[in-house]
Amino acid sequence: MNDPVLTVTGLCKRFPLGRKRFVNAVNHVDLAIAPGETLGMVGESGSGKSTLGRVILRLLEPTEGRILFDGQDITHLPKGRVRPLRRNMQMVFQDPWSALNPRMRIRDLIGEPVRLHMDMARSERDDRTELLARRVNLSTEFLNRTPSNLSGGQLQRVCIARAIATDPKLIVLDEPTSSLDLSVRAGILELLAEIREETKAAMLFISHDLGTVRMISDRIAVLYLGEIVEQGRAEALFETPAHPYTQALLSAHLPSDPAIPVARHVLEGEVPSPIALPAGCKFHTRCPVAIERCRRDVPAALTVPSGQQARCLRIPEGGNILERKEPA
Amino acid sequence: MSDATRTEIATDTQQGWSTRARNRFIGVFRLSPTAAIGLLIILFFAVLALFSSWIMPHDPVAAYTDRVLQPPSAEHWFGTDGNGMDVFSRVIYGAKFGFGIAIPAVLLSLVIGVPVGLIAGYRGGLLDEVLMRFFDGLRVFPSIILALAVVAATGQSLLNVILVLGFLDSPVFARVVRAEVLALRSSNFVESAVAAGNPTWRILFVHLLPNAIQGAMAQTAVRAAWAVRISATLAFLGVGIQAPTPEWGAMIRQGAEFMISGQWWVALYPGLALIFLVFGLNLLGDGFRDLMDPRHRSGS
Amino acid sequence: MTLLEVDDLHTHFISRDIDNRVRVAKALNGVSFSLEAGRILGIVGETGAGKSLTAQSVVGLLRPPAKIVGGSVRFEGRELTTMAPDALNRLRGHEIAMVVQNPRTSLDPLTRVGDQLVRLHQVHSDAAPAASRQRALEMMQAVGIPDPQSRARAWPHELSGGMAQRVLLAMALMNAPKLLIADEPTTGLDVTVQAQILDLLRDLVARFDMATTIITHDLGVVAHFCDDIAVMFAGSIVESGPVRDVFAHPAHPYTRNLIGATPERFRVGGARLLGGQPPDLYNLPDGCAFRARCGFATDLCRTPVPRTHVSADHVALCHFAGQLDAAPDAEAQA
Repeated sequence: MNDPVLTVTGLCKRFPLGRKRFVNAVNHVDLAIAPGETLGMVGESGSGKSTLGRVILRLLEPTEGRILFDGQDITHLPKGRVRPLRRNMQMVFQDPWSALNPRMRIRDLIGEPVRLHMDMARSERDDRTELLARRVNLSTEFLNRTPSNLSGGQLQRVCIARAIATDPKLIVLDEPTSSLDLSVRAGILELLAEIREETKAAMLFISHDLGTVRMISDRIAVLYLGEIVEQGRAEALFETPAHPYTQALLSAHLPSDPAIPVARHVLEGEVPSPIALPAGCKFHTRCPVAIERCRRDVPAALTVPSGQQARCLRIPEGGNILERKEPA
Repeated sequence: MSDATRTEIATDTQQGWSTRARNRFIGVFRLSPTAAIGLLIILFFAVLALFSSWIMPHDPVAAYTDRVLQPPSAEHWFGTDGNGMDVFSRVIYGAKFGFGIAIPAVLLSLVIGVPVGLIAGYRGGLLDEVLMRFFDGLRVFPSIILALAVVAATGQSLLNVILVLGFLDSPVFARVVRAEVLALRSSNFVESAVAAGNPTWRILFVHLLPNAIQGAMAQTAVRAAWAVRISATLAFLGVGIQAPTPEWGAMIRQGAEFMISGQWWVALYPGLALIFLVFGLNLLGDGFRDLMDPRHRSGS
Repeated sequence: MTLLEVDDLHTHFISRDIDNRVRVAKALNGVSFSLEAGRILGIVGETGAGKSLTAQSVVGLLRPPAKIVGGSVRFEGRELTTMAPDALNRLRGHEIAMVVQNPRTSLDPLTRVGDQLVRLHQVHSDAAPAASRQRALEMMQAVGIPDPQSRARAWPHELSGGMAQRVLLAMALMNAPKLLIADEPTTGLDVTVQAQILDLLRDLVARFDMATTIITHDLGVVAHFCDDIAVMFAGSIVESGPVRDVFAHPAHPYTRNLIGATPERFRVGGARLLGGQPPDLYNLPDGCAFRARCGFATDLCRTPVPRTHVSADHVALCHFAGQLDAAPDAEAQA
């Protein structure tokens, strides 16, 4: 594997609430993404996945840890020096209806990153804009319209065209398909896969939907309360999930096929508040197999036989954790 | 669905501009009758102001010394004033001052207020506090007294009236724009613009300004009404524009002394003109609000 | 027993634009379906297909410029489209209950949740307040709210999304409805919470023997929690039938496309999908509205589309229903 485009170590993001209280949105995250690789970041609401994506791109300031982008430590780089780097790190947002300036023409929206980062004459830029539009399968007749005349899928194609306009090395995609209809969603994923193939850009694909993440990711990281509880190759994580939260998440996912039976391990309760994080293992309040030790000890990341890393104190005991029923 | 509506759909392509303009007016009228009526009143005065030289039967500052304080007649529809000038022509000419003061004053308010609102709203923090406190300070004084003091101090000219009004009213636009920017600052497209690598000035003027200006534009008619009213008040109080300039406020001042002696027409007609123009501008201002309300937008 | 019978329902949006032109959006174009007690119908379709509008038309909650322009809705033999507003009002919240998306905004923020349940019961029955209170606690228990006594005193803002959705379910159940319409009941909830709510909903339907329809865009929800499916496109139900039949043998090209786009069937770089614009409801084509996106379309599709029975209760709105597998097409090879 090539040198990673992005390496994140011990990254934390806390939002102050006053009186020494904090929202602990991201907690000690380590990850790396290589060129041409897609890391899927899965988590429920409140898991801090969107915050993580924004901190990595320095849209939010990191509280702790280190972000190494393209060999450069950008953790505390001044804003003015981050801006030129944005040519190489772009983002696609969840809601394409609100992610585009409603008063700008599609042509100017797609051409904007080119205008900002590439020294091009107007005609050159227009050529590139049209090329980009065609690349994302958007008819060039839309170029002179404004966003309100396009459908959600078309708008997301515009957002993707913007994101790839300067041939970036890293693209963060924050739930790029969750607000789109099913048939449109598949087309967008198809496009992203093609682009990854052509440009060898590294992608961080953030989503709450396991099915979507599975379609596009090489590796997957599962986020719970701002912490990566399990990370590994996509197939391994889906076939033999090691962490009880990953297992519950997978079993709560409803396959769109009545013929596929669902083995249900329904989790009780809801995600605790990120303001007062549980002590010990953060998942112990909802974990069906939590034991006394889980309330005290913070689990370290362990490598399991199938190759992925997981943070659970009960992993050394082996086997599928949720299949075991025993008194705590 | 009735057959009548079907035929209307069928005929709405290939029309002349006059039909389209009429339909647009009917459409606006249906959405907001207030706006439509306001617009008509303003258009009426705009025609008076633009074509006054053709409409006026007399020179507005020609003194017919032999016809002082004559009541309305066939020759002088609105009578004559204390100098023997034709009130009808003077009222028509006065529309020029209404627009001539209101438009540049409002433009000046926009030019000062909008950038301040943009920067204060986007930057926030101390800068926002300082700018907004200063502007709040301006708003605390009754504007008419402040305007009076400043115009009296800086010299009595039309230009000074415009500058003072424009400056005094700029906080209104700063406030409106700032509120919009505060709402837009955390919106997705602004974040997306930052993520694309836009410098701050582009965020402010390319991305925020076109989206934050709508509320301010809706205020322009009401603020123009304010400018017309205050400038007339200043003239009435003898500050700024002086008689015998055919400005409505100055004319009312001049006519006020004759009210007691029964020559009501000198003050009444400029007063009515002033009321109607201010009323029209306010109606249009209210109408803007109706038209911008997305619930009134049909077709979705 | 058939509880709700919707027949050839047409709903249009009739408005005028700023140029005073009349615009008509044909949002529902002949929707027909029926609901039976104890069964769950899943209505799926993309944004703008008319899913929620169908529900609103059925229970008479349309607001101008939307208007029912044809068809009938019969609930226990009573015609709802012509019913007087207050009679319809008495029916809603009593015999017909609705659970909507965004549970938080559907609760009165200034009333404790217990009181909201009691109020709803009092409006529709002569029961003593104490009896209503008792029923409220029972229903909160039934929807799996732990410690109903203290939760009844909670304010809506104190509830999590999942808890608020349970409260709405409890509200829907207060007057023992015969018909339950759930419009995107789990959209916006986390998958682990969604599983809890859907399990609960299915139990409740069986327990109270309600006729139920779930409106959703999530085929997974339909596949595992519904008995029947109705697929909507451009204001029409293009295919309907038992869930297993439709998933195993989709008869309409749009359904095939929809199912082909699910993570279970879709492989990046594999299938060819029939993407494209949703049709303009202001300007619907004659014949089949899916024609422009359909890989099977012929000139025949410009003519009115017949309702074709694939099997006894599996119906598709397509000239070629049931013959697609034999047809030579790029999609079939994928």
